Amino acid sequence: MESDLVQRSSLFCSRPSSFLCETSADLFLSELLNELRDDRVSPAVKVLLLTPLIEHPSLLCGCGGEGETSLELMSVFSQCPPKWFQLRSQLLVALTSVLVCSSSRASQDFVELLLGVVQDPGDLSGDQGVYCVRVTAWECLRELESCCPGLLTQHLELLAGLRQRESGRGHQGAVLLFALTLRNAVYHLTQDPHAGAENLRALLGANTSVAWEADQDLRTCSGSDALHSVVRGPMGSVPTLQTGPDCKELRGVVSSLLEESYLLTPLSQAALLHRLTELVAMVTAVSPALFRAQLLRLMGTFEVSLLHSTLLLKAAFTDSLFSAEDELFFLRRLLVLSQHPLLSSAHKLFYIHCVLRFPENRPISFSDDGLPVLLTPQLASVLVPTVFNDGSTLLHRLHLLSLVHLEEGEDSEESQGVAFLYQLLTALLHMVESGATTDLTVTFFRACFLFLLHFLSVERCLANLMQRLAQLYLRHAHLAQHLINLVDRVQDRLPESDWGIGLLTALQEVIVQAPPTQFSSHLKVLSRVAEEEVIPQQKTLHFLFNVVRSASSSACGRDNWRLGNEVLVVCRRLLVHGHLDRLLVPLGDILHHMTCHYGDTDIRDHARLYHALLTTLSRDKLAGVLTEGGTHVKKQTLCCLMAESEGLTRALTVHQVEGPVLRLTAATPPPQESEDQSEGEVAADVLTALQTYRAQFSDPSFSSSFPLTFRLLHVATPTPGFDRLYSVRLHFRLTDRHYESLSDVSVPCLFRERPPPTLTLTLKPRHALPTTLYVSALFSTEDGLTWLRPLPDLHITFRQTLLPVPVPPALRLQVWEGLWEEFEGGGGMVSLFCCQLEEACLQALIQEHFLPFLVSEVSQQEVKVLHFLSPRSHVLLKLHPQEDAVHFHIATDTAQLLPYVNAYLRTITSRGHTPSSQDHAHSSQDHAHS
Amino acid sequence: MTFRALWIISHDKGRNATTRFSRRFSTVEHRAKRMAGSSYVAVPEDSVVLQLLLIELGLSDPDKPYVALRDDCLNRPRPPFLELRVDASGKELLWPVLALLQGPLILACLPLVDVPPEPRPPLATLLSVSQGLTFLAGLQTFLLGSGSKPDGEGLASRLGMLPSVLLQVCPLGTPLDVPLPGPPATPTAPASGGIQKQPAWKTGLHRGRATVSVALLETVRSMQYGNRSRQDLWDVYGRVTCKCEVEGVLPNVTVTLSLPPNGSPLQDILVHPCVTSLDSSVLTASSVENCDSSAFSGPYKFPFSPPIEPFRLCCYTSQVPVPPILGLYQLKEEENQLHVTATLKLHESVKNSFDYCEAHLPFFNRNLMGGVDVKVSSGQLDVSKEKNRLVWTLGQKFPKSRECTLEGRISFTGQTSGPSDPLCANLTAYIKLYFKVPDMTLSGCCVDQHSVQVYSSAKPRIVTTRELQSKEYFIWNSTGSAPVSSAPMMM
Repeated sequence: MESDLVQRSSLFCSRPSSFLCETSADLFLSELLNELRDDRVSPAVKVLLLTPLIEHPSLLCGCGGEGETSLELMSVFSQCPPKWFQLRSQLLVALTSVLVCSSSRASQDFVELLLGVVQDPGDLSGDQGVYCVRVTAWECLRELESCCPGLLTQHLELLAGLRQRESGRGHQGAVLLFALTLRNAVYHLTQDPHAGAENLRALLGANTSVAWEADQDLRTCSGSDALHSVVRGPMGSVPTLQTGPDCKELRGVVSSLLEESYLLTPLSQAALLHRLTELVAMVTAVSPALFRAQLLRLMGTFEVSLLHSTLLLKAAFTDSLFSAEDELFFLRRLLVLSQHPLLSSAHKLFYIHCVLRFPENRPISFSDDGLPVLLTPQLASVLVPTVFNDGSTLLHRLHLLSLVHLEEGEDSEESQGVAFLYQLLTALLHMVESGATTDLTVTFFRACFLFLLHFLSVERCLANLMQRLAQLYLRHAHLAQHLINLVDRVQDRLPESDWGIGLLTALQEVIVQAPPTQFSSHLKVLSRVAEEEVIPQQKTLHFLFNVVRSASSSACGRDNWRLGNEVLVVCRRLLVHGHLDRLLVPLGDILHHMTCHYGDTDIRDHARLYHALLTTLSRDKLAGVLTEGGTHVKKQTLCCLMAESEGLTRALTVHQVEGPVLRLTAATPPPQESEDQSEGEVAADVLTALQTYRAQFSDPSFSSSFPLTFRLLHVATPTPGFDRLYSVRLHFRLTDRHYESLSDVSVPCLFRERPPPTLTLTLKPRHALPTTLYVSALFSTEDGLTWLRPLPDLHITFRQTLLPVPVPPALRLQVWEGLWEEFEGGGGMVSLFCCQLEEACLQALIQEHFLPFLVSEVSQQEVKVLHFLSPRSHVLLKLHPQEDAVHFHIATDTAQLLPYVNAYLRTITSRGHTPSSQDHAHSSQDHAHS
Repeated sequence: MTFRALWIISHDKGRNATTRFSRRFSTVEHRAKRMAGSSYVAVPEDSVVLQLLLIELGLSDPDKPYVALRDDCLNRPRPPFLELRVDASGKELLWPVLALLQGPLILACLPLVDVPPEPRPPLATLLSVSQGLTFLAGLQTFLLGSGSKPDGEGLASRLGMLPSVLLQVCPLGTPLDVPLPGPPATPTAPASGGIQKQPAWKTGLHRGRATVSVALLETVRSMQYGNRSRQDLWDVYGRVTCKCEVEGVLPNVTVTLSLPPNGSPLQDILVHPCVTSLDSSVLTASSVENCDSSAFSGPYKFPFSPPIEPFRLCCYTSQVPVPPILGLYQLKEEENQLHVTATLKLHESVKNSFDYCEAHLPFFNRNLMGGVDVKVSSGQLDVSKEKNRLVWTLGQKFPKSRECTLEGRISFTGQTSGPSDPLCANLTAYIKLYFKVPDMTLSGCCVDQHSVQVYSSAKPRIVTTRELQSKEYFIWNSTGSAPVSSAPMMM
């Protein structure tokens, strides 16, 4: 059982959506909480069981369950012995996750709990377990303050004190939290136009209450602005606090934090440094020169995040902290790092990004690719790409060097740098020619594209590249798609250039002279060539004719069909070519030849169709037929294979609707036929009644299904063209194995202006459990097209599965008695649910929810309720009002139903009948027999 | 400074990819949602992320020569900084995803963008990106050890420890430290009392005899072309590794590197974050600008307070006037035979005492070797016909003349083709040298035992070592075209 739940937990974490299709979140949550409460479960297992709550708290406690969940977790925490410190730490993390994601009101208690843990003086002497939990508590507090800036402002003084006391990781936690809280508090002050030095002093001094009333509740957290970093490089404006010249206190705090920063791990040092950068940036009276003492140490480090935080420091303070000399030194340092032999390639690439975006004291432009002015070609030459670089490094470097040489401007034709980059390109091409891996090939084409993007004006190189690519294709026809992709991208990004056309022409040239092999690749290229109006197509036609003639004479079935198809694709492109009149005769010849002599019947037929179109339609009409509905080309998959006329196939295709069109809503069922009272003779005793009842089930179809009614209607916002729908067919797909598959439901027509039709869906359960159905609708519109559209998922709730017991009313009480006795005696499960309900509320509840299921008089002291769930499950209730609470005694023969019953009772008793403050008065107990 | 999610994926060259571990940080996701507003893109489920990562890393469909999504030549973010196209239209982009590829593992994380998301901020403005790099690199060392090949069981057990390790170093998405290699230790409560605070990066205290070991390892790389028109290249870099077993919460240790009187300055010095202070002169010399002969040339002092585990104290590069071994390699094609000559010359400044010295002569893009008739003047020659490779083992010493030669003929008459390398077409070929020389450095840099200062009560034992090794030491055939490996000086 335990390991099963652990497995399901990990299943849930990896695929929450499909998991929740089969199990309800409530049920899963209650299972998890049950295990966590259970003393017999080992702490290691409990640690694993908390993972779902940590990773997906909003899925599990999304609809109002978080308050209860957090109370449960807090009670587990309080009962957890100190030696289980891993579990205690994990519980704190889980609580933080649940509370942050649900913004629950229990948060204040939790903050108190955490503050209690970090203040606990008893353990400073070194209990390892307590220490671990305290370190986690610091981190939880930090996360709470991050998610809800200002939450801990009023505890600043306490935090400052604890920071002095702590050591090791606890000290690190305290420092990070203190710096963050201070940063958030100062940010808050910057948002208040009246705030000044007084408030800042008050903040750091003893009396925080005069600073302002802080938000102390996760629910009332301010907007998202406070979450953003205030340091955004030279362009971002930083909110500032005007304090006048005197800011001794803050300066003192910042410099003491900087001095202690050395005690933190490099990652935390970087984070602290960034917080302090933000803080000093907001308070203009504090000079950034405070950081000066740290700079050398920071710039000498090989720790990437420390160096990065220094870079952000530079971005924030530019020349008020870094002189021109420092700046050049820093840039050189970055260049050293971006090619240092002892750093990993990922780190080096990151430094290249930093060089590209180096925040200069006097930037010239802020454009996307604004290189730092200081980066001269000579400095950048250390980053020249070579064939020994891995693909990503090569491309990153090529990008940077291209930008550097682009700056050289008009004389780039003569530039040695460009010549060198081109040399690299040819070296790569050479490797691709010698049979490179896919990886290298892709890198080569990307490098080509980058080069073209930057040096379109360097014609000598470009012409040469074009010829060499064409030669490359001749030797490696399998590169056809890479080349087509390159042409597409160049035309897309550089529409003014005719380089793409040039390459296609060169390819056409080499193809028609190539030996007659690799037709498939050649035809792919030629069909792309045929899209270009400016390229004469005579050579293509000549080539096609040769292909067709040789293919007609050979006889190899399947390949022949494929080849024929590929030829037809090119023909089809040529049929819509701008200069069709010049191609008319040779194209006609090819199609005619195929019609008469091609080995494959299918291909012959298609060639005949094209031939007919070519010879009978005018050019405009031909273009009209073949390009009509061009936007739908991608939606047709199989039809495209045949290069069919899209106009003809469009009507035969099922189209996807983009937006929602229809929805289903639950409807009240039509009044049931009055029950046959005539059979209502009073049975002799309980046993006979039960036997009579049970006998009915010998017929397997008895009560094996139940109907649900729905209305099918249009969504509120109309989509043009979908107001009148015909032949609507609804298809239902199951998401689990609880029900037999459902048959489709048809609606002849659905008009927006008419009242919506009511549909009855007959569900045949295997197990009567709530489920979700996927629904899709297939329908026709007035223009004769057929459309497919998924509808919102249909949820079958627990309430909907509850039915009156299928037995005459007069026998119901006896059946109830019989079943109750049986279930209580070990044949089922019993459970108790309690809640506070006033008499009036109870009566209203019974009227609203239990009336169809009652087997006893309402006026009696005990109210008995009998639910039947198809095919053979029962849920019996006995409502028993006590002095302080109403007891709902539950008995059932199907254990899986208990959590649903619990959830159901919780919902109906809390909705409108009880004030919500009594939530916590609920309690329930399960006793398992058997 | 925070991550939204973390993934560890194993694969076999793109095949059988599975998510071995994943973690979503829900509180960070909550922040991401609030900060990104309408441009928020949710993190898809693991299986989707897995597929998208494989596509962006070029690993999906390894058998297909061209896949449009994978191989598009468009200028897009490249590894390790990726952008995942979550929906088919390409509008929903998950960015920035960091992914490190190491052997059979992909380690990926999704840093939080803590500045306004529109327009897309440069990577260099997001502190969480560099933190992600550090964290993933640490995770990689934790999972794979220092080598890149993990054994399956070792990896599985490391993955099993990961939840409890994360609980310590990154419980809520903000990395507090990198996972420490070695067996996971629960942090011990710091010793209380005393004025000094224990640093967060110190996981325990050493008790017992004080020992400081300092190891200096220099590596030399070279590209030699044997061609007047092309300049030979070589460079040297060194790293200093320390293991300090010294008592105290924050003990002070100083290591000093010194150079011989005429030595050229150490350049590009990078230091460990535990170094407490640095003199600005230490950092001045840099390889990206012209060397100034009057520059500071030591001694280089590094005061630090050591962590408990071994660590890399600093690293540097150096420009030495000559390569340790100068080679010449010539191939001539002669009627189905290849005429091979090679000469290696050890420079007089280098100690003639090797741990090992081997020259590998691979031949690519040819049929397998048939007859091999090759003589060497010193050392011994192994012929590996199935790999089309000659291995010339020079052993511990060069001959007295410090020069040795190889000469002979090879015919490639085998029926099957040997290994291939697109770089080595026609007569493009190389000799690759592997050697290690104990107790010497090319730069002349050394750590004198007496210069190591430890400020503690007990006198510590101090061990210093140094050695030189080769890496990527190529001698290209001078009769063929050799690939360019570095730019000529561009003015």
